[in-house]
Amino acid sequence: MPTRRRAILILLLLVLLALASLWTALAAGSIRFTAAEVLAALSGSDPPGADVILQLRLPRALAGFACGGLLALAGTLMQVLLRNPLADPYILGISSGAGTGALFAMLLGLPALAIDGLAFAGALGAMLLVFGLAHGDGSWTQTRLLLTGVIVAAGGGALVTLMLAIAPEDRLRGMLFWLMGDLAQTVSPWPPLATLAATLILTMPFARQLNLLARGLLQAQALGVEVDRLRHTVYLLAALATAAAVTSAGAIGFVGLVVPHLLRLASGNDHRLLLPAAALAGGSLLLLADTLARTLLAPQQLPVGVLTALIGVPVFLFLLSRQPK
Amino acid sequence: MRFLIGCLVCIAAAALLPHARGEIVVRDDVGATVRLRAPATRIVALAPHIVETLYAAGAGGHLVGAVDYSDHPPAARRLARVGGYSRVDLEAVVALRPDLVIAWESGNDMGQVDKLRALGLAVYVSQPNALPEIADQIERLGELAGTQATARAAAAAFRQRLAALRTTHAGKPVVRVFYQIWKAPLTTVGGPQIISDAIRLCGGDNVFGHLRRMSPTVSVEAVLAANPEAIVATGMGDARPDWLHDWDRWTGMTAVRRGNLFHINPDLMQRHTPRILDGTEKLCAALDVARSRRPQP
Repeated sequence: MPTRRRAILILLLLVLLALASLWTALAAGSIRFTAAEVLAALSGSDPPGADVILQLRLPRALAGFACGGLLALAGTLMQVLLRNPLADPYILGISSGAGTGALFAMLLGLPALAIDGLAFAGALGAMLLVFGLAHGDGSWTQTRLLLTGVIVAAGGGALVTLMLAIAPEDRLRGMLFWLMGDLAQTVSPWPPLATLAATLILTMPFARQLNLLARGLLQAQALGVEVDRLRHTVYLLAALATAAAVTSAGAIGFVGLVVPHLLRLASGNDHRLLLPAAALAGGSLLLLADTLARTLLAPQQLPVGVLTALIGVPVFLFLLSRQPK
Repeated sequence: MRFLIGCLVCIAAAALLPHARGEIVVRDDVGATVRLRAPATRIVALAPHIVETLYAAGAGGHLVGAVDYSDHPPAARRLARVGGYSRVDLEAVVALRPDLVIAWESGNDMGQVDKLRALGLAVYVSQPNALPEIADQIERLGELAGTQATARAAAAAFRQRLAALRTTHAGKPVVRVFYQIWKAPLTTVGGPQIISDAIRLCGGDNVFGHLRRMSPTVSVEAVLAANPEAIVATGMGDARPDWLHDWDRWTGMTAVRRGNLFHINPDLMQRHTPRILDGTEKLCAALDVARSRRPQP
């Protein structure tokens, strides 16, 4: 386990990274601003073009940071709960539930708010379906939960494909962008930001118990952890966090799978450090990826999910190859 | 003897002429040669704009099948359907026993079109990318269907109207235009699109005309950076799309400050048919309004 000093150092570095990526997101774009102009806009004075920074870049940056943080946090929780390195926030069918809801709303041509509403309803529906069906006691529960999640995800995936196949041509592009993740359509950054703060505050007290759980179910039980209560609570929180992220930005892949692994490789397996670190690192990764997505081929836009993978894969492989066997 | 010479002349003529008597040879928009032994009487059209153009060429009665959304003229609604333009039901096409299939290069799946060719069907590929090409298209479709007289008259009328529009709007001060075809994702038209040609004709300049894609996705910020003088949107049908109001908050943009937010029915503007001149007239009128709102010096 890292010493307190090292943990603080790592968190400090991640805070700096988050601030740097926030600054990049605010300063980069089709309209050029000097650093002084960005600062002036943020400090409330009104230079020409301040509305571009305050109304366009800032909400998008905050939403991107929040969604990345939520996904990485949920991924960390899922990996320790399922004790499966392949687990990610979407493994229990939440993204395909949200996708089914969102695409259904788009198919009917409903406005943006209804798309978000149905996406959230779909995510909750998939979550309740999985937890309801997999409910049971005994050692089978874990495998059953995982299997139920994978099957529900497959069912949702089929519905999504069906809707893509019958959708009118003019709506198809919007649907595909939603599925690949698109921060341009985010209505407001506050719901995901509030959810990120709430999830972090609510899960931090469980960090020590999660450390014990990571060593094995029986050990955790023997050491006095109420495993069932812990798992139910944390599953629920992780699922809600994922639902909030997917609702506001679509199914952005990769952040929730790789950021937790990256941090475990870099900083060890202490969840008291991992949980806040995941929120910061996931947010920064998504924010940087989104900034690249909207500037790389400007004025054209790329789907942000492509960039999260393109940045994350080499970093992850590099860290993995450095790791002693 | 005279009979023999006559025969010889006939044979020589047949050998010299590029095609035998009655055979129709036409080059399509992708440069392929389409040969028909006789004028087509059973045509399947794989795009709504092709259906409209066939009716304009006087060959509407030769149509036996069309794709979804082929709704103009009203008679076209009764045609047998062979699926949507991006997912054509090949068996439905073959079942109609067409003697000519007319495909759309940028809309149809060209792999499917190749399969139709492999089944021995004559295929003409259409892709008009500039306004004058619509007149050529009418003539060529008329030739394929044997309705040249109607087609030539329609093409001439189109050319005349186009030339008149061009003369009216030539030399007017340039208006920088952002043309929005969809909101989520924010989609516009690139340089090769026929709409860019219509914008040019009206004395406009497409702010994303330098992009070489047909319908690029752009960011709100790129639109703000381009600072267009007018925004023209096409949503669904005649109604003004709700999302046109989304621009109102960007009061720094010239188009918003002067109230130059316009909309045109996409059926007029986004289909490559004679009706595009109706759309172009509306577009030119909108740009004239934009010019009239310029501050007087």
